[in-house]
Amino acid sequence: MKKEASMRNEKRAERILGYSLVAPALLLILAVAIWPVIQSFYYSLFDYRLNDPTKSSIHLNYSLDLEGYLQNYPFLKSTLKREVATASENTKETLSDVEQKLEKMDEAIRADKEVANKYEQVDEALNNFESPNEDIKIVELNEQAANQFTNTVKDVVKTLEQLREAGELKQPDKVVGLAQGLKGVIIEPNFVGLKHYKDSLSDARLWKALWNTTFFTIVSVAVELVLGLGIALLINKAFFGRGLVRATILIPWAIPTAVSALMWKFLYDGQNGIVAKYFEDIGLVHRMGDLLTTEMGAMFSVIFADVWKTTPYMALLLLAGLQTIPSSLYEAASIDGATKWQQFTKITLPLLKSSILVALLFRTLDAFRVFDLIYVLTGGGPANSTETISILAYKVMFSQTNFGGGSALAVIVFLCVAIISIIYIKLLGADLLSDSASAKK
Amino acid sequence: MQKKAGPLFYVFLAAFVFFVMFPFLWILLSSIKPLSELFGDKAFDWFTSHPTLKSYVSVFVNYPFLRYLWNSTVVATITTVYTVFVAAFAAYAIARLEFKGKAVILGLVLAVSMFPQIATISPIYMFVKKFGLTNSYLGLIVPYTTFALPLSIWLLVTFFRKIPFDLEEAAKMDGATPMQTYFKVILPLAVPGVFTTSILVFIAAWNEFLFSLTINTAEKFKTVPVGIAMFQGQYTIPWGEISAATVIVTIPLVVMVLLFQRRIVSGLTSGSVKE
Repeated sequence: MKKEASMRNEKRAERILGYSLVAPALLLILAVAIWPVIQSFYYSLFDYRLNDPTKSSIHLNYSLDLEGYLQNYPFLKSTLKREVATASENTKETLSDVEQKLEKMDEAIRADKEVANKYEQVDEALNNFESPNEDIKIVELNEQAANQFTNTVKDVVKTLEQLREAGELKQPDKVVGLAQGLKGVIIEPNFVGLKHYKDSLSDARLWKALWNTTFFTIVSVAVELVLGLGIALLINKAFFGRGLVRATILIPWAIPTAVSALMWKFLYDGQNGIVAKYFEDIGLVHRMGDLLTTEMGAMFSVIFADVWKTTPYMALLLLAGLQTIPSSLYEAASIDGATKWQQFTKITLPLLKSSILVALLFRTLDAFRVFDLIYVLTGGGPANSTETISILAYKVMFSQTNFGGGSALAVIVFLCVAIISIIYIKLLGADLLSDSASAKK
Repeated sequence: MQKKAGPLFYVFLAAFVFFVMFPFLWILLSSIKPLSELFGDKAFDWFTSHPTLKSYVSVFVNYPFLRYLWNSTVVATITTVYTVFVAAFAAYAIARLEFKGKAVILGLVLAVSMFPQIATISPIYMFVKKFGLTNSYLGLIVPYTTFALPLSIWLLVTFFRKIPFDLEEAAKMDGATPMQTYFKVILPLAVPGVFTTSILVFIAAWNEFLFSLTINTAEKFKTVPVGIAMFQGQYTIPWGEISAATVIVTIPLVVMVLLFQRRIVSGLTSGSVKE
């Protein structure tokens, strides 16, 4: 009995140790990888733009920009006071009416204690020519108050504009300008739901980008597999200079993709590129310039550069798989009179299946999220002919500063990658995570 | 399939090596050409009759290239050291200890390593911006965790699994606690695996492009891949300097690959096959 209890205690201690050792890594992964993906999805539901101050953060509710408000309201108030003092009887009445409306609105804002408190702080900061703190600048309003504010401001602006038309004001442009300044201080919620997805999915550019990505992925991975398998089969033997060949294979893999892309850009150059010239000489392209300036040429160039960089890696993975096939199998087969081709299809391919699938999984996912290579080599051009979905998402986010729409595209990339992974994992079965078989680039 | 290699095989091999190395060879030859021979009639001549190191000098004089190299070294080194350290504990637990949910955790790690970077870039960008980490080393080290940590855990788990279990049993018999077993028995045996993992994580961090491109936009904080890619101006591309810079970053890489090729290959293919 005692022994059993101590065993149980030991197991428990091991479990606790296990969880506490895994915890730091797991928390980090949750914080820097999984949380951002969830947030990307959240962003994609908003009209979130960095270059538009009212949309540069996420607003679920109506809110008021106190800084903007207090940069206008006090001046509008004092200017109106002066106007009232000098206006004719009729106008005086209208102006007082406006004053009252504005005061009522101001009171309504300050009715809330917390808001009143922030109001004071922001006002003080502005009076001291400081910029107020980020967290007190914006206060939340309920929808009703926000609508009331908007309507009052609209009314006031209309009345003041009429007075300006009639020539009743001393400082017409200042008064109207200050009143109009109040228009932009209400921040509306920028929640748009699935609108970005709807827009993206009905945009021809997205489908073009998806097609480009799929075409690039399928063609480059297929070529890499065939070439890689061929190379692996050929170098799967003892020969002189093995180490040198292995080093040769590793160099394209190890060099930064951005640098290799730039290298190929030089080699493909329409006037001075040596590869472009050789391609023209052997008739692969009509003119040297066609490589990077025509749609077909650019796609071919990108795929060719990718094949150059990753075929060696594919060959390496497959070679490792080949080396585990016992040579006795081939000896037995040749004694039984099997041809080379039969040996290949009956022995090599079936035994290499899981190696091939693992290599294909990693390469397909890598190719599908391709960014560096295309960003540097073609920038997605010409005429978006090599624009992949990652490039498109990047452009929408950072060139158009449309974070909402860009995030929606990023989520679409994520979903595609998830679907591809699920298909492969179904094919691979549980092999991937089991104790004996696993691989990583 | 151990067969003797014939002469035809070596011809094929030479052709293969030539094809793979040709771009580097051409870049090397171009980097020592004078500017006038990079364009026009002489652009296609293999060898220049007036070799010069002007492009190399220009890379360091006209561009903050030394700074780029330093930035990349700092960011990649810190990323590697810290992620491998955190991963070593997690990987040990996953590979050697018994507790529920191990397979799920490993599956999660694998899934995260497949995340497309573009899917995390916008929240990460907003995060580093909010905390004033743009144009800083920390601004890259934190995001680099997204790919470096899963990669380290995944590789280390396969290395830890290869260490015989008998040793642990023996240590247990002698009354060692799990942590003592870890530091005294497992870790010394895992050193080669940790080293291999570090090389691969370092290369991945050194080569990273998208985070670096968006987060560190100031010249002072650019890393090598982004720095070189941004050599190209709006209308002109300084091919001489680009060639020289490419050669400069490739040479240490070639040395590293020659020195550690066995380790790198074992890391890349670790357990990709059933043994």
